[in-house]
Amino acid sequence: MLEIHDLHAYYGEAVALSGVDLRLEAGEIVCVVGPNGAGKSTLVNAIAGLHRATRGRIVMDGRDLSRLAGHRVCDAGIAIVPEGRRIFPLMRVIENLDLGAYRGAARATRDERLGWVYELFPRLGERSQQIAGSLSGGEQQMLAVGRALMANPRVLLMDEPSLGLAPVVVDELFSTITTIHQAGVSVLLVEQNVDRALRLASRGYLLSEGRVVLEGSSDALGRSEVMQRTVLGL
Amino acid sequence: MTLRRGLLGFAALFVALALLPRVREPLDIPVSYLVFLGLIWFWTAQATSWNILSGYSGYFSFGQGAFLAVGAYTTAVLAGRHGLDFFLTIPIGGVLSLLLALGIGALAFRLRSLRGEIFALLTLAVPFVLASLALVNTAIDGGQGIIVRLPSYPEFLGSFQDLVYLLFMTTGLAALAVAFAMQQSRFGWALFAIHDAEEVAEGLGVPTFRHKMIAIGLNGLFGGIAGCIFALQIGFVAVQSVFGLTVPLFVIVMSVLGGRRHWVGPLLGAAVIVTLQDRLSASGFEGWSLVVLGAVLAALVILAPEGLYARLRRRPLPVTAAFVVPFVAFALLGTWGDPLDWAMAGMLAAAVVAFVPSIRWERRSDRRPGPAAAEMSPVPASPVTPAPEAADAVVAALSANRDDDASPDAPIVETFDVTKQFGGVRALQGVSFTVRPGEIVGLVGPNGSGKTTLVGLMSGTLAPTSGDIRVGGVSIVGLPPHRIAHLGVARTYQIPRPFASMTVRDNVAMSLMFGRSGLSLQAARAAAAEHLELVGLTRRADALPSEINLHERQLLEMARAVAQRPRVLFLDEALAGLNPVEIDNAVTVVRRIHESGIAIVVVEHLLRVVNQLATRLVVLEQGRTLAEGDPRVVMREPAVVRAYLGSAADA
Amino acid sequence: MTVLQAAISGALAGGLYALMAVGLSLTWGMLRVINLTHFGLILVGGYLTFELATNVGINPLLTLVVTVPVLFVAGAALQWAFDRFGLTEFNSLLVSFGLLIATIQVVSNVWSADFQRMSADVNPYATQSLRLGPLVFPAPTLLAFLAALAIVGGAHLWLQRTYPGRALRAFAQDRTIAAAFGIDHVRLGALLGGAAGASAAVAGMLVAVDRPLTPSTPFEWFGIVFAVVILGGIGNTVGTLAAGLLVGALSGVVATVWSPATSPLVIFSLIIVALLVRPRGLFVRRVT
Repeated sequence: MLEIHDLHAYYGEAVALSGVDLRLEAGEIVCVVGPNGAGKSTLVNAIAGLHRATRGRIVMDGRDLSRLAGHRVCDAGIAIVPEGRRIFPLMRVIENLDLGAYRGAARATRDERLGWVYELFPRLGERSQQIAGSLSGGEQQMLAVGRALMANPRVLLMDEPSLGLAPVVVDELFSTITTIHQAGVSVLLVEQNVDRALRLASRGYLLSEGRVVLEGSSDALGRSEVMQRTVLGL
Repeated sequence: MTLRRGLLGFAALFVALALLPRVREPLDIPVSYLVFLGLIWFWTAQATSWNILSGYSGYFSFGQGAFLAVGAYTTAVLAGRHGLDFFLTIPIGGVLSLLLALGIGALAFRLRSLRGEIFALLTLAVPFVLASLALVNTAIDGGQGIIVRLPSYPEFLGSFQDLVYLLFMTTGLAALAVAFAMQQSRFGWALFAIHDAEEVAEGLGVPTFRHKMIAIGLNGLFGGIAGCIFALQIGFVAVQSVFGLTVPLFVIVMSVLGGRRHWVGPLLGAAVIVTLQDRLSASGFEGWSLVVLGAVLAALVILAPEGLYARLRRRPLPVTAAFVVPFVAFALLGTWGDPLDWAMAGMLAAAVVAFVPSIRWERRSDRRPGPAAAEMSPVPASPVTPAPEAADAVVAALSANRDDDASPDAPIVETFDVTKQFGGVRALQGVSFTVRPGEIVGLVGPNGSGKTTLVGLMSGTLAPTSGDIRVGGVSIVGLPPHRIAHLGVARTYQIPRPFASMTVRDNVAMSLMFGRSGLSLQAARAAAAEHLELVGLTRRADALPSEINLHERQLLEMARAVAQRPRVLFLDEALAGLNPVEIDNAVTVVRRIHESGIAIVVVEHLLRVVNQLATRLVVLEQGRTLAEGDPRVVMREPAVVRAYLGSAADA
Repeated sequence: MTVLQAAISGALAGGLYALMAVGLSLTWGMLRVINLTHFGLILVGGYLTFELATNVGINPLLTLVVTVPVLFVAGAALQWAFDRFGLTEFNSLLVSFGLLIATIQVVSNVWSADFQRMSADVNPYATQSLRLGPLVFPAPTLLAFLAALAIVGGAHLWLQRTYPGRALRAFAQDRTIAAAFGIDHVRLGALLGGAAGASAAVAGMLVAVDRPLTPSTPFEWFGIVFAVVILGGIGNTVGTLAAGLLVGALSGVVATVWSPATSPLVIFSLIIVALLVRPRGLFVRRVT
């Protein structure tokens, strides 16, 4: 469904990605792990149209997205939960969610989507009028996921959702991701917490210094020594 | 051109120009030319004084009219109304204008929240406030205007027009000389650094407040003095003729047109604009001059913001030829216009030749993150391998020069139970950290653990929410960054922040001028070679930061920091985005810096590198210290492994 | 004039300043563009009102039918150009300054530098007033106040309740992520620029109805409108209205109690104090 071919990208003048191949089939959860500076965020931002790739293709259902204007990419059914949440801090919870449904196609299903989001995250429903900037870290993360879901995506990109959250909160969040997945959304998960990522995903890619160093099933990756050495720098 | 020779040149020029009124009549030059030249000098004085503040340091002022007005009204009121000797009003007007400038500066530069746009708008409001004060206050103007009569003056100075010309010329030339002197000295370069990256300059040791105050003071002084003479020339001072937006507009257009970075720029701009104004009114198009000027300003800012002089420097022959050829051609033909028309034609031709060929029509979409064009590859990574012997010699020389007055074991930097809160987020909670001489401390931790925040606190860029930080035993909380730099702290930035308009050599020279060495401009430029050799950038000494690749820019960051002669250097992710060859080279450089006697704190994500380099490793997680000790031991501790890999990673 | 009358009249008059300020404030806050040409548009709006009312014979209020669309297009085009050339906040200030000067000069060439005023039979509003007990309110001032309420109120509702409005606010807070959810800032920006232009048309009409026009009138507004923008909080609609009323009332009171000349000084000092103490504006809601 989603295929990345030979993707190259720069971050300023530094090489961030040098030839990444990746695929995400419908109904999968795939994780991308690797040490910091490996290019994971750049990869996800490039797919979401936030970052321009210099070479390579991003193909969704046969359409090449890599040359689209940034704000047109979400029309293809891709929504992002960015690193650091990046909810709109001065707006209310409900306004943040509504903005997820900004594009025309999503607006039609806004009401039923909202109901589903509140089902997944009851706390958001309780605090729907609260200013987003005053929410706790975990609640902001839920809001960021909810906002992405409002866009009615087929692919959900998640960039380090566990960052800065207490383990209990992360547990809750990851079980919700499972629920979302079961409802038919494919997930591409970028994570620093390798262990949790491999438990959630069926397949994974190890990214290091802009390249895919290892790929395979979660089991295989979890047992790999290369994985440990790469991430710990030993 | 050295400073002394340049100033002698100015003195010679002064004598030559002062003799102009004498030779005018014998050479049959109409008096209107003298007036015209005087006007150019008047505007040169205004534009140059403006440029010293706004062009050099980047603090754009819209308030030039206020200085002109203070000078003009001082003369008008004191001389015109109360009969004080005109020549005495000049210093008084200058001083009053200076005081106004200092007042504005004291207020504006102290406001930490002041962005460039706010400063611009603030200065825009000042003339209007003064105008309404003048209008209603009958002691000043009262709406009537004031007549300024001819003063009595020594006969040898010539006619009235001669006098005005001489006064304008003296003021304008003096302003030029000051601007020139600044450009040749540390002071001007401090302003350039403030323009490019004020925060970085402050961190290098530049006392930015002091420099900005002097710059705005000079702006006020020359603006005011020129205003006094202006009052004499026009003979009648009223609110409408003295306030208004023509003055700031002219001054801005002249400097933007001529070039804001060089002392000659405002002079060039003044010459062009005054000629343009003159020719427009001579041909009856006076009503369109402001339209043209406004449009020219808009166009210049969009298309060619660096101005004429920079273009002239790049292609001196074509541009000069473009001026000379039409001028001479029309002169020889003799059928059309007078010399000013020919000059105008020449200027227009020169402007076209200077600007048009190199205008780049950048598309909006090209400004997205990533390189400017989708197909562009970055400046090729040239392997930077300096000759080891030369570099080692430098290391030896630098470490011999170290005058460590402190005892060899006393910690250089210490934090005591420091916390930092950003809004609702606790980035650091109770971290106590020490750096001792001779160490390389590796500071690591997962994303969001607080590493960069800790570096910011220790280098004085951030202030702690609670806790104390001491450098060499002195508490730095609340100190301005340039003082902290002088205590011996230097840092590099994750994304390199060189002074974009200065060469590699001059970037390093800035540290040598304002760091703990305090050298002069020439001495600093010479001494920079040593530090460039240390990091291997000698071949790139004359390149601009935009012309070198990322790795070289990071090396420049290091060289600049080392040139401050610090006791401790904080390297914030200095290896981000490099290929393996570059990384190895960078590690070699860091080792060399360490050998020259500087303690180093390395914040890094590339753990394999940190493990090799560091003598001691500190691991942070969620704002707290998780572990500390020998790198190889620490990285195998279960808690640390868990922090990086998550729980229960299979061995 | 009593202090009360001065305060209330001043506050109502402040409505006009709020109206002038809101367009400038919103484009600055949402789009990071400082558009000084806005003053030029107000001036053109005023002169167009004068021209149409005097030479074509339309009621001044009805001239809006022409001026609003014209200045809407002008405002949208300006904003589109700012975006097209990718101007930084500061450069937009410079460019718009140049365009403002050019506009003022063009106006001066077309309509001369003399004062232009609509005659009484063309402009019935100049002489009318409303009497409430001991207080008297001139019609132009009341109109300006009502217009300010309507437009600022409308802008506020638009920003809060509609999709495009919310999209703009989101864009102001986080450009990149807003784009990720489909927000096209070029179109939205042009829309906002156009709306600002339309508000300029209304402001210009109100100025023309109230006092004689001269090409240099924008210079009188500069300081005070800038004060209102800063004090109200850049990008804050309701704050701008409140700041306009406050500044107007203060101006009026100071002018009555001391002298008209002192009010610019007081306003100016207020800006300085505000920048020192509350750099985001006096009426900005704090997010804890």
